[in-house]
Amino acid sequence: MVKKIVLVLLLMVSFLGADVYENNCVNCHKNSPQSIDKYFYNYLLVYSSETDVKNAMISYLKYPAKETSVMSDEFIESFGIKKKTTLNKEQLKEAIDVYWDKYKVFGKLK
Amino acid sequence: MLVSKSLGIDFRQSEKQTLLRFLSLYILLTVIIISVFSFIYFNLQKDLMLQQKKSTLQKYSKEFVGDLKLLHTYFDKTQIYPRDDRYDTAIFDSSNKLIFSSTDIKLRKDKILYLEDGYIYLVNIPEAYYLGARYIIVKVKDDEIWLNHTKQNILLFGAITFLFMLVIGYILLRLFLKPMRDAISLLDEFIKDTTHELNTPVSNIVANIEMIDKSKLDEGLQKKIDRIDIGAKTVSNIYQDLTYLILENKLISNNEDIDVEQLVLERVEYFTSLAKAKQITINSNIIENTIIYADKFKISKLLDNLLSNAIKYNKVAGDITLHVEHRKFSVEDSGIGIAKEDISKIQERYKRFNKSSGGFGIGLSIVSKIAKEYNLSIDIESKERVGTKVSVSW
Repeated sequence: MVKKIVLVLLLMVSFLGADVYENNCVNCHKNSPQSIDKYFYNYLLVYSSETDVKNAMISYLKYPAKETSVMSDEFIESFGIKKKTTLNKEQLKEAIDVYWDKYKVFGKLK
Repeated sequence: MLVSKSLGIDFRQSEKQTLLRFLSLYILLTVIIISVFSFIYFNLQKDLMLQQKKSTLQKYSKEFVGDLKLLHTYFDKTQIYPRDDRYDTAIFDSSNKLIFSSTDIKLRKDKILYLEDGYIYLVNIPEAYYLGARYIIVKVKDDEIWLNHTKQNILLFGAITFLFMLVIGYILLRLFLKPMRDAISLLDEFIKDTTHELNTPVSNIVANIEMIDKSKLDEGLQKKIDRIDIGAKTVSNIYQDLTYLILENKLISNNEDIDVEQLVLERVEYFTSLAKAKQITINSNIIENTIIYADKFKISKLLDNLLSNAIKYNKVAGDITLHVEHRKFSVEDSGIGIAKEDISKIQERYKRFNKSSGGFGIGLSIVSKIAKEYNLSIDIESKERVGTKVSVSW
């Protein structure tokens, strides 16, 4: 019984996380000139590990700046930098976790 | 031939022992030195080989990074990891977590280029972490040509050096042994002199006394002759005991089957005059004749000492009985006996003889050493003011 409750809760959390990601990230990025995965691979190129990538993303979303952006200067000049996130700490973490799971390299290489 | 040798004293043996000890130590040191140099040479050769292979591995690594960059760019279209027949690769992220590898490769961050289990590894940190790859490891099989070449060289030069050192060692040994040889000659001369100076006249006295027909002498003279006989035999015994103790390790054992009954009777006859001085009667009780495989001189020395003690610690007009039975002989006296607490002390001394046993006389130490050599067990039964029985069994 306890296991079932835990499972349901976990599913709910993951759906909630997926909702946060879909509503707050994908919604805006689908209209942007770059597909959302390109940002992910740019982070990977600079930060390498899961922890470093996630921390860098969270930090940038909280305090977006030209200096900390992983995008090229030309891209920033053309499209500018994003606005500060309105998500709270937990929501941000959930969204980033979903983002990581969706595009991570682990388990995808053949 | 050395006099010492004819006397049964083998100095060559001690020279051989010294030679063997020196050679063992010398060979051990030589082997250690050769091993150390071989180890250094081996590592130098290994480093040389790694440096030679480095450029090839760096080329492979560059090729792989190019492929990885392409994969990174088109990761949404293809996820096929770049592979090559010439080398294997593995990629790790900055937290040392394996992202992917074409074969079993472990991350080692302590070295950039290294050899492990017949494979050469190059750890590369690319400028940009394509697919998150902070560490790229390229692995190639070592052809081991250098290894065979190095082994051959080590064996060849090791053997040449070893032989050379052996010759040097032999020359050094000859030089070192010279003073020892001189000392041996000196000691040999000394033994030659002392045997002539001391042993021969004493033996002469004993032999000549034995030749005198005592029945033709008057009682007064007979008593004097007996005293001379006792004195000469005592000196002879002490001389033999001292020689035995000093040269114990150098005495050659001529082991043979000894008829114990015959030996007992011989020694009884020899000690009769000494016993007579204290009016002691020596009896022999042969229950069963037996044989012992040992050096006759040493067993006779052991028996002499037991008999000598039995006389020394006996009362006037007492008696001594020598029993011979299967694999055992014993000397029983009617002497002063030994206190119970002292028996254990004496037995302990028999077991673990040491030089501090002066209080028990040198006879005991000789008995102990001979018993130890032939693995004889010594048993003491004693009652104060009744007597002591020392049994030797094997």
